[in-house]
Amino acid sequence: MRVSNVTVRKRLAIVLFIGVLIFAIIDIRLGYVQLILGDVLAQKAKDSWSRNIPFEPKRGEILDRNGVPLATNMSAPTVYVMPRQVENPADTAKKLAEALNMSVEEVYQYITKQTLIVRIPQGRKISNEKAKEIRSLDLKGVYIAEDTKRYYPFGSYLSHVLGFTGIDNQGLTGLELYYDKELKGQKGSVEFYSDAKGKRMPNLADHYTPPTDGLNLKLTIDSRIQTIVERELDIAEATYHPDGMIAIAMDPNTGEILAMSSRPTFDPANYRNVPAEIYNRNLPVWSTYEPGSTFKIITLAAALEEKKVNLLKDHFYDPGYVKVAGATLRCWKKGGHGSETFLEVVQNSCNPGFVELGERLGKEKLFNYIKSFGFGAKTGIDLQGEGTGILFDTKRVGPVELATTAFGQGVSVTPIQQVAAVAATINGGILYTPYIAKEWVDPETGEVISRNTPKAKRRVISEETSKQVRFALESVVAQGTGKGAFVEGYRVGGKTGTAQKAQGGRYLKDNYIVSFIGFAPADDPKLVVYVAVDHPKGTVQFGGVVAAPIVGKIMEDSLRALGVKPRNGQLEKERAWNDPKMVEVPDLEGLTKKDLQEQLFNLKLDVSGDGEVVIDQAPKAGVKVEEGSTIRILLGPKASDDTSRNQ
Amino acid sequence: MPQKKSAPDVLLLFLTFSLLAIGLIMVYSASAVWAEYKFHDPFFFAKRQLLFAGVGVVAMFFIMNVDYWVWRDWAKVLLIICFVLLVLVLIPGVGMVRNGSRSWIGVGAFSIQPSEFMKLAMIAFLAKYLSERQKTITSFKQGLLPSLALVFSAFGMIMLQPDLGTGTVMVGTCIAMIFVAGARISHFVGLGMVGLAGFAALVLSAPYRIKRITSFLNPWEDPLGSGFQIIQSLYAIGPGGLLGLGLGQSRQKFFYLPEPQTDFIFAILAEELGFIGGSLVILLFSLLLWRGVRIAFGAPDLYGSFLAVGIIAMVAIQVMINIGVVTGLMPVTGITLPFLSYGGSSLTLMLMAIGVLLNISKHARY
Repeated sequence: MRVSNVTVRKRLAIVLFIGVLIFAIIDIRLGYVQLILGDVLAQKAKDSWSRNIPFEPKRGEILDRNGVPLATNMSAPTVYVMPRQVENPADTAKKLAEALNMSVEEVYQYITKQTLIVRIPQGRKISNEKAKEIRSLDLKGVYIAEDTKRYYPFGSYLSHVLGFTGIDNQGLTGLELYYDKELKGQKGSVEFYSDAKGKRMPNLADHYTPPTDGLNLKLTIDSRIQTIVERELDIAEATYHPDGMIAIAMDPNTGEILAMSSRPTFDPANYRNVPAEIYNRNLPVWSTYEPGSTFKIITLAAALEEKKVNLLKDHFYDPGYVKVAGATLRCWKKGGHGSETFLEVVQNSCNPGFVELGERLGKEKLFNYIKSFGFGAKTGIDLQGEGTGILFDTKRVGPVELATTAFGQGVSVTPIQQVAAVAATINGGILYTPYIAKEWVDPETGEVISRNTPKAKRRVISEETSKQVRFALESVVAQGTGKGAFVEGYRVGGKTGTAQKAQGGRYLKDNYIVSFIGFAPADDPKLVVYVAVDHPKGTVQFGGVVAAPIVGKIMEDSLRALGVKPRNGQLEKERAWNDPKMVEVPDLEGLTKKDLQEQLFNLKLDVSGDGEVVIDQAPKAGVKVEEGSTIRILLGPKASDDTSRNQ
Repeated sequence: MPQKKSAPDVLLLFLTFSLLAIGLIMVYSASAVWAEYKFHDPFFFAKRQLLFAGVGVVAMFFIMNVDYWVWRDWAKVLLIICFVLLVLVLIPGVGMVRNGSRSWIGVGAFSIQPSEFMKLAMIAFLAKYLSERQKTITSFKQGLLPSLALVFSAFGMIMLQPDLGTGTVMVGTCIAMIFVAGARISHFVGLGMVGLAGFAALVLSAPYRIKRITSFLNPWEDPLGSGFQIIQSLYAIGPGGLLGLGLGQSRQKFFYLPEPQTDFIFAILAEELGFIGGSLVILLFSLLLWRGVRIAFGAPDLYGSFLAVGIIAMVAIQVMINIGVVTGLMPVTGITLPFLSYGGSSLTLMLMAIGVLLNISKHARY
């Protein structure tokens, strides 16, 4: 205590106190950072140390309703480079450039980038052989990662519906885009801890998060029916060289889409060489146009439901035109259909007759039914780019608009709207939301994760009315304008349509969309098929001539594929003078050659095989075929005569 | 004047060696990765630090046996030499630029930082000056103003390099000395207000400065620029938690925290040894402060008392600023942590200063 200065001693004590206080504050701060902020900072620090190597999930496959793959994955490895692990950039660049067919300089630039992982564009989705080649080079810092490429085994088949994916396997159009989230799954990764120079840090374990593969999508599409539809469109395309074509097949009792196709089409593997408007427009749901006479089904259903007409008893006289508010609306048939029942009005697709029905309903009722059948609004189908169509604003509908709407002019609708609406008229009266995704299936276990069920929107007409519509439309095919769709034994009903195309508010000359919408069997409809052909060449542009036979063929083969049994009680087809006579195929199986010669046939025989006895025939007994058709028979040995089999 | 001597403060010696030992271990742990990367020798920095420590300890014991009045006799000369060096260091070609500051003079490994010496010369001179005019220190004009003028002229020279860290430590140390010498509290309050006003004027004249100063409050605003070091430092300290990751287990030393063995060594220490280890080091420094102030208490004369308080204030303030920066309490200034940070001149000068303190303790009576 030699320094006796009191002030100095006091001040020294203060200095000590302040000093210790500051140390205490700093220690509290240290504790705050380590004990309270610690977890947050540790997480952030971990993020800054960790590096992720992504692991791509497998994209879900798209299957038809019976499990036939429509979109699958092909192994297509991808080259990754970790620049910091590359030991000899010049040498690596040279070898890699050779393998990938690139310039050495370009590769060098990629592999010396200051990033963790580099993907060389030319090294993405390469073939397995190429991958093996690169792997055998054994280059440090160059990795081959498993990757996949989308593969569409059927090519252009169903391409608009399926859509396609881009380089990162991301959905770009169609279902691939609509259900991208479910299909793509979740990326996985290997997370490892790295020092600031990109090298693995010691003593910290890697963390692997496996990718979650996308779910498999099972569609309502039936590939058998789709195949038939594609075939028929191909034939029609070759025959008529149309500007475009649309076909939809749907189960009328559920709204499940069984087939959907259009022309022009494209191969998803090659979409880059196709104009965007082709692959971006799925015509069956996108396009809107005047439906023409197929729309008369709606007017008919409304008039029947409102009991404004008795098809068999009420008569109508068609002079070939009708005057509405000073305007003259012509029937498609010059000179008119004369006196007819309303059933014949439907069969003949007689415009003045439908104008009459429209007037009996009045604009309020007619337009209410049109909307109730789903026109003027999207159907809600799970596909990209659905159109809405255009209806007259009810307030501004005058007598002329009412009249034209009644026979399908002056409204604009989408094909899918027509299919859904017509399905409602014949399925017992219920409007369903059409849909195409049926089930989501776990790719590992095959377990169904979720399932779409039919969604009934509303009842539009009664069961009884629906029955009458079916009867009227079956008679259109058997006796009226839809004869081309007639299928022996399958009771096809339907309606033709021929609509003049409009452009810029004007109708185009000699340019029609001809269509047919059919369903079968008429007693219990299992299938609705709509076909529209845009501007067919080299033919009369009538729906009954061009579209109806296509629907007939699709219907016949599809119903058979679905296992629908042929019916009895079919309305007999009214024969035109040039219609071939139909005969029933006799049972030839078991007959000997001699027996055959004794039979009197109006059919030709195409014999194959050696032997004495008919062991097979096509078509089978009971099928009706045109007179003069060829029956193929296969001869074989008698069932009991084994020795002759080896002759 | 010299009285009979007693033994030096053994506890002070023990504290110094404890900190030195911790420092050597931590320098190795923090620098091994860097050293391996740069020099292919994980012991590169540790070996040199051991050498500096050896030189420093020898110097410390030598100075411990030099009676501290020598520094009073040489104070004026040393101060003038330091001023000259501070001028010389500013001349391009003579002074060398490291990390953006022209602070070094000399050749290669034999280069020194004049500002470091200025700190010590200033302490020695101010102790002499204040002990001789202790009666006038209560006068603003005759006592306070001349000492402050001297201190701030040296500070101005140091800021021309610029070396804000060393300058701040020197000014803080001198203010502590002037305070202990008995300057009026009212003068300090008045000067504090003037200082605040000047600071405000500086900020208003160039508003970007405020951002620079406050960026430490939210380093994530500029994580790759001004906030980078503090974020990396917090990423080290935070995960350390209570017990730390274990000696040698730091992650941030893997090139994330730049030069972890120097200014930010405390961050690595807190990461590896946790809050317990960090607190122990702060406790050791607090005890060191206590021993230093105690020596000032027992010093045989005012000169010894002021010299002791100057030395211990310098050590304590440098510790406070360094750990304050590392834990994000203060903007980054760039000064070393005494006894722990890697660096030859810092370590040897610190040990020499402790030598002086030990010598005073030999003469002290409590």
